[in-house]
Amino acid sequence: MILSETSRRWVLATPAVVAIMLFSILPLGVVLAYSFLTPGDFGNVKWIFSTDGWFSVLFERDIFDDTLALSDAHLTILLRSIGLSLATTLLTLLFGLPTAWFIATRPATQRGFWLFLLTIPFWTNLLVRTIAVQEMIRSEGVFNKVLLALGIIEEPLQMMFTNFAVLLGMAYVFLPLMVLPVYAAIEKFDFRLAEASYDLYASRLYCLRRVILPLVRPGMIAGSILVFVPSLGAYVTPRIMGGGKSMMLGNLIEMQFGPGRNWPLGAALSITLTILVLVALVWYTRLTSGRTERNHG
Amino acid sequence: MLDIRELSKRFGYGNGAVNALHEVSFSIAEGEFFTLLGPSGCGKTTLLRLIAGFTAPSGGALVLDGKDIAGMPPNRRPVNTVFQSYALFPHMTVGQNVAFALEAQGRRREEVVPAVNEMLELVQLMHLRDRKSSELSGGQQQRVALARALVAKPRILLLDEPLSALDMKLRKEMQIELKRLQRETGLTFIFVTHDQEEALTMSDRIAVMSGGRVQQIANPRELYDRPANHFVAGFIGESNFLTGHSNAGVVSVGPGTVTLAGVPDGPLTLMIRPEHVTLATSLPDALNLTAAVTQIVFFGTDTHVHLRLDDGTALVARVQNVLHGGRTFAEGETIGVALPAEALRITAKTEVQA
Repeated sequence: MILSETSRRWVLATPAVVAIMLFSILPLGVVLAYSFLTPGDFGNVKWIFSTDGWFSVLFERDIFDDTLALSDAHLTILLRSIGLSLATTLLTLLFGLPTAWFIATRPATQRGFWLFLLTIPFWTNLLVRTIAVQEMIRSEGVFNKVLLALGIIEEPLQMMFTNFAVLLGMAYVFLPLMVLPVYAAIEKFDFRLAEASYDLYASRLYCLRRVILPLVRPGMIAGSILVFVPSLGAYVTPRIMGGGKSMMLGNLIEMQFGPGRNWPLGAALSITLTILVLVALVWYTRLTSGRTERNHG
Repeated sequence: MLDIRELSKRFGYGNGAVNALHEVSFSIAEGEFFTLLGPSGCGKTTLLRLIAGFTAPSGGALVLDGKDIAGMPPNRRPVNTVFQSYALFPHMTVGQNVAFALEAQGRRREEVVPAVNEMLELVQLMHLRDRKSSELSGGQQQRVALARALVAKPRILLLDEPLSALDMKLRKEMQIELKRLQRETGLTFIFVTHDQEEALTMSDRIAVMSGGRVQQIANPRELYDRPANHFVAGFIGESNFLTGHSNAGVVSVGPGTVTLAGVPDGPLTLMIRPEHVTLATSLPDALNLTAAVTQIVFFGTDTHVHLRLDDGTALVARVQNVLHGGRTFAEGETIGVALPAEALRITAKTEVQA
């Protein structure tokens, strides 16, 4: 069969197009469609159009007088999700930057070893890693036992099932996602520039602020996105570390498809999460493209 | 103004230690264009980095205006550097790069802006002030690096092979430009290069370095005419070396003899520049030898005649090409070679393997 250049290209692209349709567009379409339907009695949906699912994302209807009010529970979870994700990003940045700096400034032959150490936890199941963190901070956990033995505290600290526990768990799990891109940026950094800045009367702090950070920033932004996006949709970690007390969006969505039996609400919440992630990504793109444009003309 | 006293630098410890600089001592005068010249690994860059403060000396003192600055960090020394790689800040504009030193010193904006503009005028880059430094050509980056290092009016400007990345034509232009800048600013320049021609054309004085030691410090003319030793003679300009023997002031090379003043007895090495070798004649007060012409290379303004002496020593004579009456030579011809006594230099007391 003889094909023109254009149609041959389309034939070659077919598997990709089919995959995108099948695994991305179609499921999203289903979720979007479900968000506009009526909940079934025992889960699933009835094919009756309704915007109740979307209303319930932020509002609740008073059962007595039918007035709409902001849903405190959902709003709390939404804000907690955003807040905890931002906090996780900041915490991983705080610990990831010095870690990446340390690795990038080792002799080239040693860097592989340190990166290898950093990625070891990646081979372990997320659930196992999270439970390991739980083991550290639960009432009878390592942390409390040590503090009790040292006599610093008299009663075990209740750290589990708090925002702090979720934050700690997520920061631990996502730290490598921050370190790797920041490391890549620092490794590319030309240390002769730092030398030049010292020569031109810059103090260490001034050099860090004016020369190093601006050039490492793209890596920091990439790392922040890599941490922020999965944090926002995190499910396992808040489930284990936060339980029912410190729920995040992922847990709320799961609840709608499980015991809540409100699939349209679950679908609407999923779309909301997707939009939040998109907003973060657009912000990221603009932040970096503006910078590279100014860098390279 | 700058006194370098027995400055040394060792890298590593114990048996693996490398002496990059051996107790080097000399002084640089105010407003001088001083060049450190030598092959790679001779210690010139190490010395420059010691003056800049990027590395600490293993011993000795570095006295600037009567004060020992050897222990002072680079950001407190009134010394700025033009780096070989330029090391311009890629995320900043030309103007921001030039302003860096003044801003780092915490100068006020009203001071910074006019100073930056003045510098950009000096290096003729005013029209590129708001460009990213990464958008510039090599020659332009070079000028930005110069302006950036000059803006804070340092006591000494260090230049680490700043022209080596430029092509031939641009390099010649920048040599003139650098000389102009040095005259206009009246600053002391310490220039590092491995290019002897660059050193000869630009410098007031040159320190020829080798193996972590200063071999000779002199002005270009002196260095060329009276090289202190074999290394300097070989490194600066083209040289012919002959081995001979001296006895009571009479130096004999093969069948020829010449009387030279102040020569100790024993074997020695003589040096003569190709332009001083006189062909097809014998002269009084000269070392007169015979040689076979092995090759003739035409260079436009002059011709290089390659010769071989009877004992196998190779020799090159440079003959100026004249309009009329020039003697022509043929390969294979045997001719007389006269080496005038006044052009002969003793570069080693004993025989040296070249």
